[in-house]
Amino acid sequence: MFEVIAPGLATTVQDVGRSHGQALGIPPSGAQDAFSLRVANLLVGNPHGGPLILRDDPGAAGLEMLLIGPKLRALVPCVVAVTGADMRPLINGTAAPLWQAFALKADDVLSFAAPTRGARAYLAVHGGIDVPLYLGSRATHVRGGFGGFEGRPLKAGDRLRIGRATQRFGDLIGRRVRPELIPQYAPPHRVRVIKGPEDHLFAPASVELFFSTPWRLNAKADRTGFRYIGPPLSFAPGERPDYLIQDAGADPSNIVIDPGAPVGTIQVPSGVEPIVLGVDTPSIGGYARIGVVITVDMAAVGQTRPGEATRFVPVSHDEAVQALRAQEMLINDSSLAGV
Amino acid sequence: MIYDEPIVRTLGDVALNIEFGDETSVVLNFRILTLDHAIRQHPPKGLIETNPQVRSLGLVYNPLITTRDALSDHVRALLKGLGAVRSLPSRRVIIPAWYDDPWSRECAEAFGVPHNMDYIASFNHISVPEVIAQHTGSDYWVTGVGFVPGAFMSYAMDPRLKFGAPLYRTPRTWTHARLLNFGGNTSTIYPIRTPGGGQLFGRTPLNIFEPAQKNRAFKDGPVLARAGDRHRYVAITPDEYYAIRAKVEAGTYDYEIEEGVFDVAAYLDWLKTVEAGHV
Repeated sequence: MFEVIAPGLATTVQDVGRSHGQALGIPPSGAQDAFSLRVANLLVGNPHGGPLILRDDPGAAGLEMLLIGPKLRALVPCVVAVTGADMRPLINGTAAPLWQAFALKADDVLSFAAPTRGARAYLAVHGGIDVPLYLGSRATHVRGGFGGFEGRPLKAGDRLRIGRATQRFGDLIGRRVRPELIPQYAPPHRVRVIKGPEDHLFAPASVELFFSTPWRLNAKADRTGFRYIGPPLSFAPGERPDYLIQDAGADPSNIVIDPGAPVGTIQVPSGVEPIVLGVDTPSIGGYARIGVVITVDMAAVGQTRPGEATRFVPVSHDEAVQALRAQEMLINDSSLAGV
Repeated sequence: MIYDEPIVRTLGDVALNIEFGDETSVVLNFRILTLDHAIRQHPPKGLIETNPQVRSLGLVYNPLITTRDALSDHVRALLKGLGAVRSLPSRRVIIPAWYDDPWSRECAEAFGVPHNMDYIASFNHISVPEVIAQHTGSDYWVTGVGFVPGAFMSYAMDPRLKFGAPLYRTPRTWTHARLLNFGGNTSTIYPIRTPGGGQLFGRTPLNIFEPAQKNRAFKDGPVLARAGDRHRYVAITPDEYYAIRAKVEAGTYDYEIEEGVFDVAAYLDWLKTVEAGHV
């Protein structure tokens, strides 16, 4: 059990997220940087679930912590790991390692330094955070008010149960990630994109501009959508037929409602401030989509701090699937040292 | 425009869209739902979920198990075998609503815009009672569910009663839950408190989204609407609204849901006579 002394900015219980919600308007949710959460779970010997977006297996639940971490009191001995943004963990004020499993004694207070790189850190605990499964996942969807801990971010005074231990703590303590596998989250962030499905609606020069400009993350970014500041994009010239004005709207960025809003979809309403849809994405959209961020690079999107630069890089579908396969190969014990 | 052949579009590395056209069309939606049923009956390897909407069918798949090409070939083969749509499973759901309600008015006042019901009436050159008569006079076909949990899109099935009003130019930062609204010809209900730009004209005492799943109408899931449902709205008095709401909150309200099969062929024939002006 953990007692929440201070909740931090927006600390939520997350796993890899829920599938089968698209046709219900229920987003996948889960960790915005699923790679970091899954590695944290791997470090502490938990099930780490399937790859981001696929969500055939949600894995164990941990905490997603945004920019300002919580202050937690361990009420029982446990083994934890912190990954993602460099929100250095402190045990009773003394530094503890990142990307490494370590022990907490009963009554230890775990707090976090402000990050200098990355925006979201992940805490996993051996046994997982024990909240009820909701529609197959423990992920919190705050706007819908369901999943996770009472469907909301943590508050001071909350008590989080820890699932049953299945391994000896001594076998887990000290497991760490091989240093070359630790992401650095250094701007400018490189985010790979598969073009389309409506890149043809944009002026060709604007598609080129989209892929050559450094974009800055708007401070209003959240798990529903990450908005980027940069030059306006224009649409291909041409007469707009009456039925589209009637059914979708007069703006050239308007399209008739469509199921195409998977995580990573880049919408550009009125050609201004592209929005990358996050894990709390709506399941449908009505704006032209210039491209979709590849699955593995949603971690980099989630680790971008407001104001930091991002470059979007066009890649093929094959390259995206290879990157996904390569990342899946990393998430196992061979990526760890101290095992 | 309705395409001669549906276009298979790539959406990133884990999703495909089978796009039948670029316009809003209930008739197109019949074909999309038929394809959706066929895919669910014969799910291809690696398919995770489907998401039928008004003009396209979304597919989410695992590219580590199948390939984009294998999945689109499977779908194209199913499309070939579909033939004309004769019927579809479809529930008819009665939705009581307090039209021209105080909550819709409160939202308009909070955002400094004219009362939306008055705007809908004047936009369509009819009176407020006529708006209510028109909205309760036709079944509404649910083409798809999504946006926020439980939200849906629906369209008047009687083309003579088709109407609506444009979305706000600048969306509200909040809307009360369960408000009926128009965005163009799309009729829908906000399931939860959410930002939005729809023109508000009534409130239902029914839960559209019930995460606690207390009522047996939600025994299979927290969302009331399903693609392919027919919704019929019924105007109620404030007293009836509060009486129903109390039952809904207690989990004891008996939702009027009739399971059934919708005769698409007969509907399309009827539509032809209406469009020819014979009815």
